[in-house]
This record gives sequence, C-alpha cells and structure tokens, in this order.
Amino acid sequence: MSMIRDPSLADAGERKIRWVSEWMPVLNLVRDRLRDEGTVAGRRMAVILPVEPKTAYLAAILAEAGAEVSVAFQGVMVHDDVAAGLAGRGVEVFAQAGSSREQELQFFEEVLSRRPEVVIDDRADVIRLAHTTHPEVLETLIGASEETTSGVIQMRAMEADGTLKVPCIAANDARCKYLFDNRYGTGQSAVNAVLDRTNLLAADKDVVIVGYGWVGKGLAARARGLGARVTVCEVEPFRALEAYHDGFDVAPLVQACRTADVAISGTGVRDTIGMDAIDALPDGAILANAGAVDDEIDVEGLRARATETRMARDHVEEFVLPDGRSLFVVGAGVVVNLSAGEGHPADIMDLTFAVQALSGAYLMQHGHELEPKVHTLPAEIDEAIARMKLEALGVRIDTLTPAQEAFLQAWEAFE
Amino acid sequence: MSATDAASRSKIADPGLADEGERRIQWAARHSPVLTRLAEKHLSDGALRGRKVAVVVHLEAKTAYLATLLAQAGAEVVAAGSNARSTQDSVCAALVRRGIEVHAHHGASPDDFTADLLDVADTGPELVIDDGAELTRRILEHRADLVTRLQGVTEETTTGVARLRAFADEGKLTFPAIAANNARCKHMFDNPYGTGQSSLTAILRLTNLNAAGKRFCVIGYGWVGQGLAQRAAGYGGKVTVVELDPVQALRAVMDGHRAAALEDALPEADFVITAGGGTDTLPADALTHLKDKVVLANAGHQDREIAVDALGPGEEVRPGVTRHDVGGKTAYLCVGGSLVNIAGGDGNPVEIMDLSFSVQALSVHRLARGDVPPGLNAFPDELDREIARTKLETLGVRV
Repeated sequence: MSMIRDPSLADAGERKIRWVSEWMPVLNLVRDRLRDEGTVAGRRMAVILPVEPKTAYLAAILAEAGAEVSVAFQGVMVHDDVAAGLAGRGVEVFAQAGSSREQELQFFEEVLSRRPEVVIDDRADVIRLAHTTHPEVLETLIGASEETTSGVIQMRAMEADGTLKVPCIAANDARCKYLFDNRYGTGQSAVNAVLDRTNLLAADKDVVIVGYGWVGKGLAARARGLGARVTVCEVEPFRALEAYHDGFDVAPLVQACRTADVAISGTGVRDTIGMDAIDALPDGAILANAGAVDDEIDVEGLRARATETRMARDHVEEFVLPDGRSLFVVGAGVVVNLSAGEGHPADIMDLTFAVQALSGAYLMQHGHELEPKVHTLPAEIDEAIARMKLEALGVRIDTLTPAQEAFLQAWEAFE
Repeated sequence: MSATDAASRSKIADPGLADEGERRIQWAARHSPVLTRLAEKHLSDGALRGRKVAVVVHLEAKTAYLATLLAQAGAEVVAAGSNARSTQDSVCAALVRRGIEVHAHHGASPDDFTADLLDVADTGPELVIDDGAELTRRILEHRADLVTRLQGVTEETTTGVARLRAFADEGKLTFPAIAANNARCKHMFDNPYGTGQSSLTAILRLTNLNAAGKRFCVIGYGWVGQGLAQRAAGYGGKVTVVELDPVQALRAVMDGHRAAALEDALPEADFVITAGGGTDTLPADALTHLKDKVVLANAGHQDREIAVDALGPGEEVRPGVTRHDVGGKTAYLCVGGSLVNIAGGDGNPVEIMDLSFSVQALSVHRLARGDVPPGLNAFPDELDREIARTKLETLGVRV
C-alpha cells in the first residue's frame, strides 16, 4: 500500500506523467524490450529519486515491464499529484511533500522491507542504509545504480575501505548521461530558471560561471547564447585552458565577482562561492547554484551577515548587507533548475533514465557475476542508447567501410 | 488621486492581491534605472500636472512603474490592459492602492475587454500611451466626440504604428502622434532582445522541453523574428526562417539560418514561432504541413497570428499548453496562440522595458508640452541618444 498525501490528486499527476511520456521515446523502447525479454518480470526494484513527472515515468515503465516497483524520496522534492498518479499506475509510492524526518525514515523502511533486488539510488541513500542499519537487505540485494556524482563518491569511498558488499553502477559516468543531462539539460534549465524567476535580461549582463566541467560548459554556452558576457572561473588548468579556447574570459573568482551581475556555481563542491567572493560582488548581484551540492554558495554565511532578508519575488531572496549592498539568491542556493523550476527537459531525461533502466536490468542479469565495486555501464549498452535516440530523432549516421576498418586495425605502414 | 477614490472608480478583479503586485512593481523599479533618472530630470517641469493620461499597455509590473512615475509627475493616470491575457490582477490591485484608476482584469472576454477600454475612453484622456493603437482606434471608431480632447498619442508597437499610419492616410489623424516604436532605443532592443529572450524562455518553461538540436521555424524576420532566431540558435537550436520579403530572407541566410517557403519549413520544424505582426501568419491551410508533435507559439503582436480557430478547442495537457488534432497529427499550442512571453510569462525583461518606457515617458512629456504637430511624428533623435547614453552610464560603459 502506498503512503501518499492525497490519492484524489491522481488525475492531475497522471496528466503530468503522460506529457513527459510523449517526449521519452527511448525509455518507451527500453520498456518494450524489457517486457518482451522478461528481464525484470516479477523482480523487486526500488527507485529512490525526486518524485516528479520524469522520474515517475521511469518507475512506471519498469512496472509496465513487469517489475514490482517501490518508490521513496525526501519531501523537499515530491509533487503530491505525481505521487498519486504514479500510485494509480501500480507502483508503491512512499513520499509526501513536506514530510518530516520521522516520516521519511518510515518511508525508507517500507521500501527496504520490500527487499529490493536492484535499487536505482540517489546520493547512495539505500546503499548506505543497507550497509549500516539494515544488513538483512544485503542478503537479497543484487546491486544499485546511482544517479548522482556525490552518491558515486560515497560508493567509491565504501569500496576503498572494503565496506561495499554489492556491485554498483555509476550511471552518471555513462556518456549518454553526462554528455547530455549535465551539459544541455542543466545548462538550459538552470539559466532559464534564473531568467524566469527574475524577469531580467541576459544580454546586458556580466555573468560569472564557476566551474567548467560538463555543467559549467552548458551554463557558459547558454548564457553566451542569450547574449551575456561570460567569465569562467576554474581551479583545474586544463579546463581553464579549454574555457579560454572556447572564447570565454577566464579569471580568479574574487576578481571576476567584482564586476559580476550574475554568478552561477556548477562545481559540485561545497563553499564554491564563499564569503570572500560574496564580499566582492557589487550591489544588486544575483547568485544561483546549478551544481549538485546544496552548499555551493555560502548562503548561511550570507544570512548571518545580512541585516535584513525578504522575498523580492517568488524564489528570489534579497539579503541586505551592513555596507548597504543587496544581493539576491535564486532558489535558496539549492540546485536552481529543480528548486526554482521544473528540472531538466523531459527529452534529455529520456537518455538519463534509459541509462538507469538498463543499468538496473544489467544488474538483474549480471549482477551476481560482478565484483562488489563501482562499475560503469558497459560501453555497448551506452552506445545502444545513443543509437536508439538517434533513430527516434530520425537521424541516420554512417558506418566505417571495410577498408577504413582495416586501416584502423593495421599497425604496420600501408604501401 | 487617493487610493479610496481610485478604488471607487476602478474595475479590477481582486483588490486583495495588492501586496503581491506591489512586490512585483518594486522589483521592476529597482531594475529601471534609466527611466528613474530620466523621469527625475524631465518630468518634473510641470508639463504633465493635472493632465489626463491613459496608459493602455500590457498591465504588469513594468507598465505599472511607468504609470506611477507619470502620476508622481502630477498626471491623472487611468490604466487598462492592451491584451486581456497579459493583464496581471495583482499588479492592477497594487496600482489602485497607489491611487491610479484601473479598468482591467485577467482573461476578460473580448466584450469585457472592449468595455474596459471604452470606460477609459470615457474618462476623456488628453494623452494616450497606446499599444497596438487599441485605445486610439476605439476612440476614433466609437467615441468621435472625444477625439477633439486628444492632444497626443504615443504608440508602443510596430502593429500600432501601421494602424496610425493608415488613419493618417485616411485623414483621421487630426491630433499629434509619436511612433515611439520607431525610436532606436525601442525597436532595436525591445523587439529582438526582449521578445527574443522572453519568448524562448517562456516556450521552454511551458513545455519543459529541450531546445538543443531541435529545428525552430521562425515566421517573419523583422526585428522580433531576428531576435527569436538568434536566441533559438543560442539555445542550441537550428533555425529555418520563413519570410516574404526577399531582402529580409537574404539577411536570414547571411545570419546563418536556413530560409525556406512555409510549406517546406513546416514538415521538419519541432517548434514554430510566429512573428509576422499581422494575422494568419500561420494560416489554416498550412496546418497540414506541420510535423507530428510540433509546438506552436506566437511572439508577434496579434492573438490571431496562428489560425487557432482551425486548430479547434484542444485539450489542456499542461498549464498553458493544449493538444490539437490536425488531420491525424498532434500539435501543441502555447497559451491559446496569445503572445507567449506575456501570456505565458512576465513579458519582456525589466531592463528592456526600462529603455522602451523611457521612450514612452519622454514621448508623452513632449506631447504634453504641446510642441508636436498633428499627424504621425518620429521620436526626437536627441532624446533617443540621451536614453542610450543614460543606459550606457548605468552599465558603467564609456564611449
């Protein structure tokens, strides 16, 4: 039995799920294949992801392919209508918006008591519970597929000290995930969330992008595409050089902040924009975090320093500082495309969740053969997902000719 | 006017929404440094004192700030929306609390919308800040006795300027009018950068879809179409431009876009955005060429650029998005074919309207001084330059 806020919201939730399903052709193909091959039929799966339409559809297709699926998540990122809609699709849902910590523990207990064989995990929540307070779960757990970079870091730490007892797949390390989700998905939706929530113009702004990994690359490209002048801050010399050659100004953070109208963090590192950078920002500057870690901007430090705070617009908080400056934080400093928007575009999550679904299926089939380590999704599965997306988009590509293949395999000089 | 007087004369949806509207107006004010500076410098000479000024522009926060500055300069301001779907009820409530008479509510029927505008006409405005000539044409058509009271009209849009020109050709423009839209600080910024950015962000938010790699068909390559095409490309989209004027079509090609006839462009377009400025930019007989699951949106002036009647009523699949069956294929329409950036968002970015409304404020001030001749006039170039210089100063840019 699901534990959700209000089953009567199911129609509204179902409508949201149906919309995204229209834009997830690869996930639909994956469902058909898993159903036809019986890969997950009757198998127990847990999905630990924010309960919003796209993740709901991932859980739904796994159920449609025959799996017994249970879903749980913390209340900060739960749409109650989607939870109700998903429950209506035969998935057990344990999630309510604004749930207390006690409720959340109970929700996770429920999911663990279902004894999942495969977990699609977020920040290694279930994996950590199974290795600490709920060791009985490990008896039947085959493995987990992990969505976030921070979860993978924790799993690697468990592997390093010999704690990890089951194989895990770092879904984030699949090319079909990070090349698209992190770059185009976050780039578009984070920049949009800032512009939508502030109703401000990009084209007359100096924008500082902190971090030039895949997320930072997407942010910088989209900010530039909207006419902003972009400065990139990096600590890693190769990425800094890459940013330079992509045509961006590169500068140290504090220096860049002195003339910044907007500063967006995308590093995955706590205190990326600390008080020294915040102190360099001019009056009226806008701060947002597009990275996975909640504390990339030192919002607490800013709050402690502020003489007054107020909501200037929905999701835009103003901090008045003793020196008279006002700074504005969009989305409370939490990943802005989710906290102040609807998350990634549906057709990008089509790729990410195809990776997750096939990682889960791979664990079902081969998990017992894998060592208890952090693995990457096999390259041929990753490539198959890319080919499915191309086909769904109606894009054909070439193949190597036999002569070209021979050239690439020959090591001796050609005549 | 006191807030009580304003409330008794106004017709709005819900005065209880004033706090939210006030918050929005304050945000707009904060990001309108050019308008604030120029209003202080020019409007305080008393030319507007006691003058009846009608503001008929999309009634949201930025317009409300303009109306407030005019009222502070001593004008008796009465406001109505220029499009029922763009009117924000909270902003109307805040304006009334600021002592300004308002006749507008969100989603008004065509009859109610016209009734609101005629109510504004009946207050006998001397000066009009108009959008699409919505008020001016109604005064000319329905309130002939009030035309003699008109001492000036300043017009915000390309479409409205065309309408005023048509009136001038018929000899009906017996009062001074300024084509504010044709000021460089308006059409070179508002139309491409303002509408370009805000229409794209609105479409992507309404649909939660990815732009990268998608084919965008932009119909019309005027200032608005150019901005749409540039921003769609900036999001990683591929752009096909449909344009009747061969010179503009050639510019689209040189700008790096594809140009094509409508029936060739539609079958491969994932998004179709209209920016023709007239009606039937995407006509009924073209709908058969649409790709399955296309998203349709209008960024032009009229609600009638997309042949919405031919699309039928549709089923709402997300807030602001309806699904329509087009000969067995599916089309998704954003906000019923209304202006997507305004009806599906907060309209143009504040900084853009800071420029546009600086033009309007100085324009209505010139008209109030009475030194503009009858007929259609250009916005004075020295004022245009002053606005640009002031904006550069606020950006810390020296030239």
